[in-house]
Amino acid sequence: MKSLSSFGIVIVIILIGLSAYVIEDLPAFGDANSPANKYIRLFSMQSGAMEDQLEGGVIPIEIKNKIYDFGFNEENLYPTLEEGGYEIEWNEKNGGWDVLIEEGEIYFNEPIKYYCIKILGEELAVYRYNWPVRIIEWTEEETATPNAVTSGLADYRGFDTMGEETVILIGAIAVTMLLRRRGRL
Amino acid sequence: MTGGSAIPEEGVARRDVIIDTISRLIFPFILLFGFYVTIGTEGTGGGFQGGTILAAGFILYITVFGAKRGREKIPESVNTFFESFGLYLYNGSGLLCIIFSMGAVQFLNYPGIWPVTDLVGVAGSRAWIIAFMVEVGIGLTVMAAFISQYFDLAWKDEEEMVVRKE
Repeated sequence: MKSLSSFGIVIVIILIGLSAYVIEDLPAFGDANSPANKYIRLFSMQSGAMEDQLEGGVIPIEIKNKIYDFGFNEENLYPTLEEGGYEIEWNEKNGGWDVLIEEGEIYFNEPIKYYCIKILGEELAVYRYNWPVRIIEWTEEETATPNAVTSGLADYRGFDTMGEETVILIGAIAVTMLLRRRGRL
Repeated sequence: MTGGSAIPEEGVARRDVIIDTISRLIFPFILLFGFYVTIGTEGTGGGFQGGTILAAGFILYITVFGAKRGREKIPESVNTFFESFGLYLYNGSGLLCIIFSMGAVQFLNYPGIWPVTDLVGVAGSRAWIIAFMVEVGIGLTVMAAFISQYFDLAWKDEEEMVVRKE
């Protein structure tokens, strides 16, 4: 018994340490530019002559290869960076270029922000836009719903909410069956 | 007015006119507010919150008028039907989206040739499905789940009292 309780204490301490380690990395709530809300930094490289190429609307081959190495390639069913398959726009707010790619969706066939290439001194930093960016920027146009929370809950993440409702139904059935056992417990 | 058609029983407190009247007056307004919270895409709230408010209205009625009259208001068959009908409404609309668009959509996104798409456009039909299918379905399921559990607890108390008397 004593070994069991000491084992439990060790497990609790490990869990507390793990949660502290996780909480430390959480971004500040409500910061629109925090990684969880905006974009994740993939890598950075020496700029060289790449800025001129980006100005001309072409992604340099070095950046393209490195993005493919990260796993955003054809094998994993990500849209590729072929010539003419993307657009490059200067984004004044971010201080960098946005790479827009058409995903080929049937009913909403417009280019969507995928990568962001920023100038940081001598280096170019490449970021990957997060999914919430699409919900925040396109929710009104795509779903005619001004409330991004509602469209996120019921439309973009519809399967998730379906599972929640199923859990409620199954829980209600289980509690009802338990309550109606009437002296058989 | 002697407080409805209460059957005087042993061990049951006498009905209060004020509580009876006010709860009967406020009951439809609670339901109306519940539907207001449930339906729609613009305001705060949604299916889960609205369903809880609807259930609160019925629970007030059951608490004041007793489980017997509550059962007359919402019979068990209707309650059970609502409990599964909400989930059916949600899943059915999503499945119809997938079928009508020949599998191009992911559940509810881009509702394809959904009948209202011609009238209000793709984005508008998505808003319609959110407002009148998804949220209402969630609301009905949550409401029925709460009410059935409350009924079970209330009935159990009454039966235990009967057993103790015997």
